[in-house]
Amino acid sequence: MEAVQMRSITKWFGSLCALDHVDFSVREGEIHSLLGENGAGKSTLMNVLYGMLPCDEGEVLIHGKPAQIRHPSQAIELGIGMVHQHFMLTPVMTVTENVIVGGEPVNGPFVDYRSAVRQVQEMIDRYHFGIDANTKVQNLSVGEQQRVEILKALYRGANILILDEPTAVLTPQEVQELFAVLRDLKAAGKSIIIITHKLKETAAIADRVSVLRSGKMIDSGLEASRCSVNDLALMMVGRKVDLTFTRRSQCVGQVAFEVQNLNLAVKGVPVLKNLSLKVRKGQILGIAGIEGNGQTELIEVLTGLRRPDSAVILKDGKPFSGNASDFLTAGVGHIPEDRLSRGLVTPMSIEDNVILGYHRRPRFAGKGIRRSADIRAFADEKLAEFQIKAETVQTPCSALSGGNQQKVIVARVFSEDPDILIAAQPTRGVDVGAQEFIHNRLLDLRDEGKAIVLISADLDEVRRLSDRVAVIYDGRIVAENDHDVWDEMELGLLMTGGKGGVTA
Amino acid sequence: MSVLITYLIPILGSTVYTATPLIFASVGGAYSVRGGVMALGLESMMMCGAFCGVVGSYYTGSVAIGFLSGILGGMLIALLHAILCVNFRVNQVISGVGLNLLATAMTTLLMQVIWGNKGTSEMVASVEGTLGGPIPILNAQSFNFFVMVAVVALGWVLLFKTRYGLRLRMVGENPKAASAVGLKVHALKYSGVLICGALAGYGGAFLSLDQLNMFVRGMTAGRGYIAVAITILGRYNPVNIVLSALLFGFCDAVQIYLQGQGIPAQLIQMLPYAATLIVLAVGVRRIQPPAGVGQHESD
Repeated sequence: MEAVQMRSITKWFGSLCALDHVDFSVREGEIHSLLGENGAGKSTLMNVLYGMLPCDEGEVLIHGKPAQIRHPSQAIELGIGMVHQHFMLTPVMTVTENVIVGGEPVNGPFVDYRSAVRQVQEMIDRYHFGIDANTKVQNLSVGEQQRVEILKALYRGANILILDEPTAVLTPQEVQELFAVLRDLKAAGKSIIIITHKLKETAAIADRVSVLRSGKMIDSGLEASRCSVNDLALMMVGRKVDLTFTRRSQCVGQVAFEVQNLNLAVKGVPVLKNLSLKVRKGQILGIAGIEGNGQTELIEVLTGLRRPDSAVILKDGKPFSGNASDFLTAGVGHIPEDRLSRGLVTPMSIEDNVILGYHRRPRFAGKGIRRSADIRAFADEKLAEFQIKAETVQTPCSALSGGNQQKVIVARVFSEDPDILIAAQPTRGVDVGAQEFIHNRLLDLRDEGKAIVLISADLDEVRRLSDRVAVIYDGRIVAENDHDVWDEMELGLLMTGGKGGVTA
Repeated sequence: MSVLITYLIPILGSTVYTATPLIFASVGGAYSVRGGVMALGLESMMMCGAFCGVVGSYYTGSVAIGFLSGILGGMLIALLHAILCVNFRVNQVISGVGLNLLATAMTTLLMQVIWGNKGTSEMVASVEGTLGGPIPILNAQSFNFFVMVAVVALGWVLLFKTRYGLRLRMVGENPKAASAVGLKVHALKYSGVLICGALAGYGGAFLSLDQLNMFVRGMTAGRGYIAVAITILGRYNPVNIVLSALLFGFCDAVQIYLQGQGIPAQLIQMLPYAATLIVLAVGVRRIQPPAGVGQHESD
């Protein structure tokens, strides 16, 4: 029996066809992985199913019956629940309040909070979610918040559960916990759709797979056990990519950049505690960690954006300090972790953004007046070199996709030939093609003998690129070692502070 | 003891009396902000309420219909605010300030049309006298004191104990989340803003039909803005709002008392406004408004 059938779904965003006659179906009691790159149309398809977006053509059948879903409330009535990638929770309210809103038990005119708490706690216990129904959501970890989202769907009687990129924000341990929860739910007869671009996870949990690429269903309902990861990658990207490829450093040189005893308090709260690290020429030092353990502040200190309370920063063995501009001038390049807030001025053109921060250089400006022709020529050259897909260099950066925006930043940083590069989340939210490109450029730079500090929430990225791996937890480097010492689970444990630090 | 009776008791009575319209408007503001719509338009809702209250009383001779008209007048402005902010997603600050300007201009124009006078209306039927009786402070109030107590109590229960309140607060905290669980975000926002308009309109009518018996040009004189500050200082909770409104009412009462005591009147009249500034600068900083104010269910 099919729990969900979507037939010939078509959706236009202006002149862009986001979904092109897509057929998709899910069986009852299975875990179905909807695979595709960013922008392939996975979320759009699911938003159509959940009534968040109207589709222009096509029909939807739920348990064999045609359904008109125009609003999430109708989807909920049909037993469809969705766990969004960005959690739809209200942090200042309790687990119970978040779960029951929209379907509150009442006692006369009042919400019956007592029976609501009891009901929610019963569900938590039944599915082994291990949280307290009276806790405020802001006090829960990310993995626990996700379970609150699942509870919300189950409370509304969902038997079809859509999870949008459920593992994007989780540690490897939390991913395992989530998978256990999903298997429990499957055993209870629920149909589960996972939207993802992660191939390994698809192979680990899904019964069947459907692959979307640029709005078209490439293949639907494949048995997961019969597809190899490489087959799926080929279907997803449309060409061969090898995301496991890497190359290691051939010659590691002198220490290029060193930070000793870095301390920083923000609003009186210590964020970085006696943190020390060093990176050598021809080496990539990967810093792994769960977001919010001091990475943002560390990046800001390493690029001169924030002044530490105390620290010794050595560049090529000599003490060094200054503001962000001094750091750039001294050859410390910076790929910011959030390209929209620190990386680009999006309403401005590509040519302006690609010289941003270096705009005072004599080749871009003379006597305070910009050399338009030189800048244009430079930008044109970078557009070609970094394969930035844009009509002209006058295109505003806001019109570019995430991957191309990131390439503008990478082009800017690399064209200044930095001795040291602080690369923060260099491929966050970019498509697989751009990711591969940026990774290769980072490895090229490393092979030229430059020192790179890579700070990333993507564990695969850290493990693939780094020559040394350091783990940051609670503002400290709790462990550091060569790239091949720890496997993913060990790293995950270190990232949660679950294992004593070892540094070799 | 005699000092208490001669000075403090009358000032406290006057405190409650001047705080009453502020409480009506600020509790209204709490509904609006809890639903995620800034209540900067309170001034215009009060102004329109004060004006429509007088118009209603003028044409019917009934104070009750006057107050009812005041409620409708406030709701009319609220409806405009809701259409602008919810449907057309106009910046809520701009909508609020724009409506405030509109209300001053419109009431002045309509006064000219109805009474042929831009400054004041004719005198109309209004609330007669105070409750009296032996209880100090209370004896200086009108029946509206009990209306105010009921509005506050009902507001607290409605916002924090009922299904409607939970849903409204969810919309104000996170409209996307509310929409995703199937709540009617637009309807809830409209309800919050319209209740706000009704209460602010009643507060305005209190100014023109209880404290006075006519409409005077610009008669709210910034009380709507003070009510905005009270809403924030009261943490969008009707009970706390009463406390902060009494603080402002006290400043106002002291101000009235100090007039004619040899201190320049202009200086003294600054008192409630200076208090607003000080409160905004010092007290409000740590107060977290609902996280979803100004957000929409699909951004």
